[in-house]
This record gives sequence, C-alpha cells and structure tokens, in this order.
Amino acid sequence: MPGAGKYTWRLNSEIVNDPTQRENIGASSDEQLMSEFARGSADAFTALFCRYRTPICGFFRRRLAEPSQAEELAQEVFLALLRSAGRYEITASFRTYLYAIALRILRAHRRKTIFRAMFQGAAPPGYEPSERSGTESALMLREAVGKLDGIDREMVMLREYEELTYQEIAEVLQIPVNTVRSRLFRARRSLQELLALPVRGSAGTQLASAEEHP
Amino acid sequence: MNNTTHPVAPEEIMALLDGELSADERQNVTAHLEQCVECAAVRDEFLHTSEAMAQWTVPEPSPGLDRAIEAKVAEGSWMHGSWKPRVHAPGLRNWRPWAVAAAVVLVAVAVAFLASSARLEHKTRHVQFAEERMDERAPFRADGGSAPAPSPAQAGIAGAESAPLPAVAKDKVEAPGGVMGGHFAAPPPPPPAPAATALMIARTVALTIRVKDIAASRAALDGILALHHGYAASLTLNTPEDGPRSFQSSLRIPAPDLQVGLNALRRLGRVETETQSGEEVTQQHADLVARLTNARETEQRLRQLLAERTGKMQDVLDVEEKISETRGEIESMEAAQDLLEHRVAFATVDLQLQEEFKEQLGTGASVSVGTRLRNAFVAGLRNAGGSLLGLILFLEEVGPVLLIWIVILGGPALLVWRRYRRIHG
Repeated sequence: MPGAGKYTWRLNSEIVNDPTQRENIGASSDEQLMSEFARGSADAFTALFCRYRTPICGFFRRRLAEPSQAEELAQEVFLALLRSAGRYEITASFRTYLYAIALRILRAHRRKTIFRAMFQGAAPPGYEPSERSGTESALMLREAVGKLDGIDREMVMLREYEELTYQEIAEVLQIPVNTVRSRLFRARRSLQELLALPVRGSAGTQLASAEEHP
Repeated sequence: MNNTTHPVAPEEIMALLDGELSADERQNVTAHLEQCVECAAVRDEFLHTSEAMAQWTVPEPSPGLDRAIEAKVAEGSWMHGSWKPRVHAPGLRNWRPWAVAAAVVLVAVAVAFLASSARLEHKTRHVQFAEERMDERAPFRADGGSAPAPSPAQAGIAGAESAPLPAVAKDKVEAPGGVMGGHFAAPPPPPPAPAATALMIARTVALTIRVKDIAASRAALDGILALHHGYAASLTLNTPEDGPRSFQSSLRIPAPDLQVGLNALRRLGRVETETQSGEEVTQQHADLVARLTNARETEQRLRQLLAERTGKMQDVLDVEEKISETRGEIESMEAAQDLLEHRVAFATVDLQLQEEFKEQLGTGASVSVGTRLRNAFVAGLRNAGGSLLGLILFLEEVGPVLLIWIVILGGPALLVWRRYRRIHG
C-alpha cells in the first residue's frame, strides 16, 4: 500500500467508545467512507470499524461455538479490509463486499476444522451453535436453525441478523435474486415447522409415557 | 392458501415484511392483508419467526478486538500479508475442480504434443536421410555405365546413346560371330595400366570433390580437359538460392591420359568419394570383329555371284535383297565396334563438384514476403494438423488406460469427496 506510512493509522479509541462521536460519523455512506479510506483517511476506517465491529462479531458468534474464535475471525475480516483498501472498487455495495470477505474467512475456518477433524479422528463439527447459555427458546431456535440446509441457513441468518437485502444476499452467495427469494421463503417455512416441532414431539413423548404407565 | 384463492402469494407477504416490494405491490399486498384473515395469519407466522430469531442476541465485542485491530494497524503487519480479498470469495469452491481439470487437460495436451512432435521429427530425419542418399547416388546415375553397380542393360543403352564416335584404329580379330549384348560382366578389378593391344578395358571413374569456389574450379576443369585432349559429354550446374552450388559433369578423357588427368582433377579440392571400375571388353570386341569379317565376306561372295552368274529376274532380285540385308548388318556392327573402341579409348569420368556453403545475407530476397507468409501459413496448418492428429493418437493409445485408472480411483475419490461435502455442509 503506497504512502501508507504518511498517515496515522491508529484507531481513535475515543471515537470508538463515545456514542455521540459514533453518531457524528454516521452521515456518510459506507462506500464514501471506503473511498476516503482508500485515499488514506484513518478516520474513515475508524468509522467503518465502529459501524461494523458489532455486526461482524455477531456474524461469527452466531456461526461459531467459541466466542474467542469469533473475535479472532472478526479481527481477520478487518485486517483483510485494511489490506485490500487500495484494491477496492465500487462495483458492489460495501456490505456485500464485507460479508463476502467474512463468509470466505468463515468457510476457510470451517474447512480447516474439518480437515483437522478428518485426520485427528475427532468428531467433525457440523454446524456450530454458539453459546450454550441463554433462554430455552433461544436454544431451541439455535437448534432449529442448525437443522436447516447449509445455504438456506446462511440465507435466513444473513437476512435476519445481518439484515442484508435479497440483492445483497444474492451477491454474497453468488446465486440469482429470484432463487434467494424462493429459497428464503422455503427456508423460513421449514424453520417455522422446526420451531413448532419440539412442542409436538414432547406431546408425543408424554402420550407414549402415558401408555406405558397407565 | 394458494394463488387460486388468494391474489397474493405467501412469498409476497414475506417480501413485504422484508421491505423488498415495490410501492404498487406493497399497496396491493397490504390491502389484501387487511381483508384476508388467512393471509394475516401467514404474516403473523413470519413475524413470530422473526421475533423468535431476534431472541438470539450476542454480546458486544470485547475491547480486546479494538485493541487488537489498533495494534495490528500500528505495527503495520497487514501491509505484508498474503491475503487477497475477493468479492467473489464464495464462488471459490466452484472453480477449483475446473482448475484441476484444466491443468490435467493441459498436461495431456502437452504430452501429446511432445509425443507427436517427437514422432514427426523422427520421420523428418528419416526422410532427410533417404534424400541424402539419393543425392549421393545421383551423379553416378547421370551418365550410364558408370554407377558402382549399374544394371547391365541400362549401362549398355546409356553408353551406346551418349558417346560420339571418333574414328580409331581397328584391331581386327578373326573369330566366329555372335550377337551383340550381354557383354557387361561384373567389373573385374582394374589392371594397373591399360594394356597396349592384348586387353581392351573400358574405364569408369566417379569422383565427388568438395571445392571452395565452383566458378574457379570449372575454369580449372576446362584447362585440364584441354591439356589431356578430353571433352565433357554433359554438364549440369545447380545454383540454388539458399544452399551450396553444385556442378555435375560427365567427362571423357583419353585412356592413356586418365591417371594424369585424375591427379589434376583431385587437386581441385578435397576428394570426398572416388570409385573406379574397369570392364574388360576384349572378347566382346573379338566376337564383333569376327562377325563383321564374316558378314563382309558374305557380301563379297554375293556380289561375285551377282556379277558372274545369270539367271531369272527373280533370282537376281533375291540376291540384291540379300546383299542389302548383309550391308545393313555390317553397318550396324561397325557402329557397335566403333562405340566399343571409343569406350576403351576414352575413359568416362563422372565428376561432381560441391561448393562449401557460405550463408549470405539477403539471399532470400528474391522470394516475396507474400509467398513466404503463405508458405509459413501452410506449414503452420500442417503443424496444427499434425498436433491434432498426435493428440488423437495419444488419446487412442492412452485413453483406455486412463479410463481404467479413472474407474479404479474414481470410486474412492468420490467417497472422500462426498464425506467431505457432508461434513462441510
């Protein structure tokens, strides 16, 4: 990155920690900030970091079991953003760009984990629901989400938590927009069923036990 | 709950909640939701799911992240990273098999090309070798009777046709007649010097000499011929554009002067090949002379008969006819005798001069650019065809084996891949 040394790349901790200052930098769009950052503005990077540190951390926390790993990967995303600033072109929205990086890092991480599991004989982690603690309904929800098919789960999560538009989801996952809409619909439908299922399942168990012990 | 009973699809209700509808659509769907209880229920289900999902909250990132980023930025380690972000990162998994397949195809093509080109090269070399050998033989065949091992018939015909017939002293030997032909026995080793009367030997020498300058050598050659009273029966001068010049000639040198003349010729340059052969024609000549004598006597007797005896007109005519017949035979035999004697008197020297080739700039100027382009294009097409053929041949040769291996290895590979995908998915 030519000329990087000329600028102060230090994050301004004050900005990060002060909510009012965070609001102040919220005026410009992500793409504008990214362009400024590409021209060397450290403040622009700070602004972007402030905007996305929580969503990106959440992205990994909901997808990985270990909170520490989640933060590590989130950190990798921002480092990748730092390195790629000079190459950024406004072809896609910044959110698409950022989440595409995040998804790539996530997949690379999963691949590594699977690879290790295959050769060390450990049970391969499928979907990693994070944080065992929490309310019971939240746990149920996590299990239900975990039962969804890979792409469907990703679409539902990108929509619900990352709040991407259909278009953005399509770009991140590299599938047509119409496919996103129809699959998202099906995924939500099956999620509804999955959320309703444990109730019926427990009712069934009660019936069975009632038969056994009249 | 379908399109036949409801003007609004459930998918559209979802899109409405996600804020993905246009203004018109939004108005339509909202209006319908106000009227339709079923569709409102669908909407509530979606809302409920979203609410349920919203319960999954995650804590704020720890200050550790901020500090880590700050530290990394400060130390500048990100500048040397090997990370290459791609917007199309999710598609990465898709191109890998293609890349592998492309690499395999490339390797196959390269191997096929190498194999085919090696084959072509081999073939070309073979052809060149054959051509070279033909070149070597060419000068010997230019004039009959001088090849290292010519067929008797060829040699006889060529020798009879090519040589002029100067008058030479005739050495007559009385012997019973025979027919001309079949007189070319296998060449015996040449005697050291031509015998004066007893032996008649037709000599043939083939010389290939490499010289520095064809023109100078040719002038020298003329001098040698004049000195030894020889002459050139045929001359051929080749001056190709981009190759060495060559000069072929068939010389006739009087037999007594042959050795001296050959020595002079050898000094023209470096002798590359030299072949000498001598053919003894004494017996043949004797036969010919005897038959000739007989024929002359017969003619004489017939003339006497015609002069002394009288008879019927028919008899006279018969005798006249017989005389003319005999006369024809005599003339033909005299010609053959002259030819034979000439071959003995004049040795045949087949001389080939080859110039040492010096490449010169601008020699290719006479060939137009268009022609050269066209030639190159044709050569390119031929090469392309050859490569294609080579590829096909390679696939034919190796294809079945490859198939066997694919069948053997494909199963396990597929299993591993499926396992990987299952775990990954």
